[in-house]
Amino acid sequence: MISWNNNALRDVLKEVDYAEEIYKCIQCGMCAGSCPLRHHMDYPPRKIFALLRTGNIDLVLNSKSIFLCTSCYSCIVRCPRGIHVMDIMHGLAHYAIKMGKISRKNTATFGQEFWKQIYKRGRVDEKDLSRRYFFSDGIVQGIKNALSMADMGIIMLLHGRMKLLPEKPIKGIKQLRIMLDKAEQESRR
Amino acid sequence: MKYFLYWGCSLEASGANYLKSLKPVCELLGMEFEEIDDWNCCGASVSYAGARDLSIRVLNARNLALAEMQGGYDIIAPCSSCYIQLIRTNHELREDEKLKEKVNSILREAGLTYNGTVNVRHIVDVLYNDVGIDRIKQKVTRPLSGLKVAGYVGCQSVRPYGEYDSKERPRVQDEILKALGAEPVKFPKKMQCCGSGIFLPEMELCMGLVKDILEDAIAHEAKIVSTVCPMCAMNLELYQGRINQLYNTNIQIPIVYLTQLMAVAFGLDLKEGAFLHMNYIPPEYVIKPILMQGGDSK
Repeated sequence: MISWNNNALRDVLKEVDYAEEIYKCIQCGMCAGSCPLRHHMDYPPRKIFALLRTGNIDLVLNSKSIFLCTSCYSCIVRCPRGIHVMDIMHGLAHYAIKMGKISRKNTATFGQEFWKQIYKRGRVDEKDLSRRYFFSDGIVQGIKNALSMADMGIIMLLHGRMKLLPEKPIKGIKQLRIMLDKAEQESRR
Repeated sequence: MKYFLYWGCSLEASGANYLKSLKPVCELLGMEFEEIDDWNCCGASVSYAGARDLSIRVLNARNLALAEMQGGYDIIAPCSSCYIQLIRTNHELREDEKLKEKVNSILREAGLTYNGTVNVRHIVDVLYNDVGIDRIKQKVTRPLSGLKVAGYVGCQSVRPYGEYDSKERPRVQDEILKALGAEPVKFPKKMQCCGSGIFLPEMELCMGLVKDILEDAIAHEAKIVSTVCPMCAMNLELYQGRINQLYNTNIQIPIVYLTQLMAVAFGLDLKEGAFLHMNYIPPEYVIKPILMQGGDSK
């Protein structure tokens, strides 16, 4: 018998946007069949939903699948039940990070750094994002990471595809942060 | 025809050749652009790690509200991620009164409000439906005759809404390519995702996706790939060397923006109009022989 954790499921339903839609799932597997990275997933979306419904929250939050969504919308387009599959996967990744369960550290870090860029300036500075992402594990690992991608950086630089000046915050950055803070509060309700 | 051009963060950096080639092409077609003053990032496809859905809707609603206040022209988003985030927010705010009220209560913190009156368009949508194939044809002075192009659509420009093209069998980009005199090839991986925003952190897995797409295009005799998204362009172009190393393959195919091909066909300078020199895999070696056939070697 599969373990059942009712409270944990209740938290997922509250903390993950669109999670209530898992009850509409008919387990047809269209989402899994449409997913570009399905071959690399431990549990494709269909199984993720089945695990959630049976209360196996830990398996879900520790699975690498929830971090492997490329946001291509194929599953959403093809789901015969109109479930926001992609958004649920995103929401699960968000919740897993919040719970300290980070099965794909690089992807989690990259996404978090991306969001920090927006919160900091209102816009994303690609080179600053890459730098912060590469150096998220300290300076030694950072230098290794940066060197391993140096060829790409040089290509971009030489072809005029790197913005040299640092990105300045937008004029309305203070108000934007107030709005984003409020949106975060509202999300918890 | 006046529009807001919301080019987003990528087109100022890694996708600079997209923005640079788009402007003269659209100008030639009689389009006029304004910038949304003080626009912010759309959140793209990886923000979910740090934010929930409402925050990302608010982020986009701010841009919509600013556009509404500053003239209300249709917003053109050339980047597929920007496009999908903006149009999705617009759809949801128009359809869900409760969400609209919630988002507006947050926008009011900054003295903003959004009534839902602005339209969001992809550049391909505007080229096809507002400008039209006939007008594009009229501007062609150097037809790309015989150039076999893989018109790569990727994911976020037609999914999930299929606003201007089929969600499963898109043809609009190919129609534009035909208008330029080029020969779009059929290839099944036309809509296979390239890995999009998680390419960098999941490089090894995503390189497999790109390998499949490029091999498919090459197998169907494409000599060049045309894209309409900075994320697609970067992922398809930049990692070909690494893919060859990893898979022991020999893939080399230039990746250009549709607007770069338009610039070439419209007779604009290969450097100052099409900005082909900004591409890493030089498209000139494929494009120049085509132009020479037509008696124009400029």
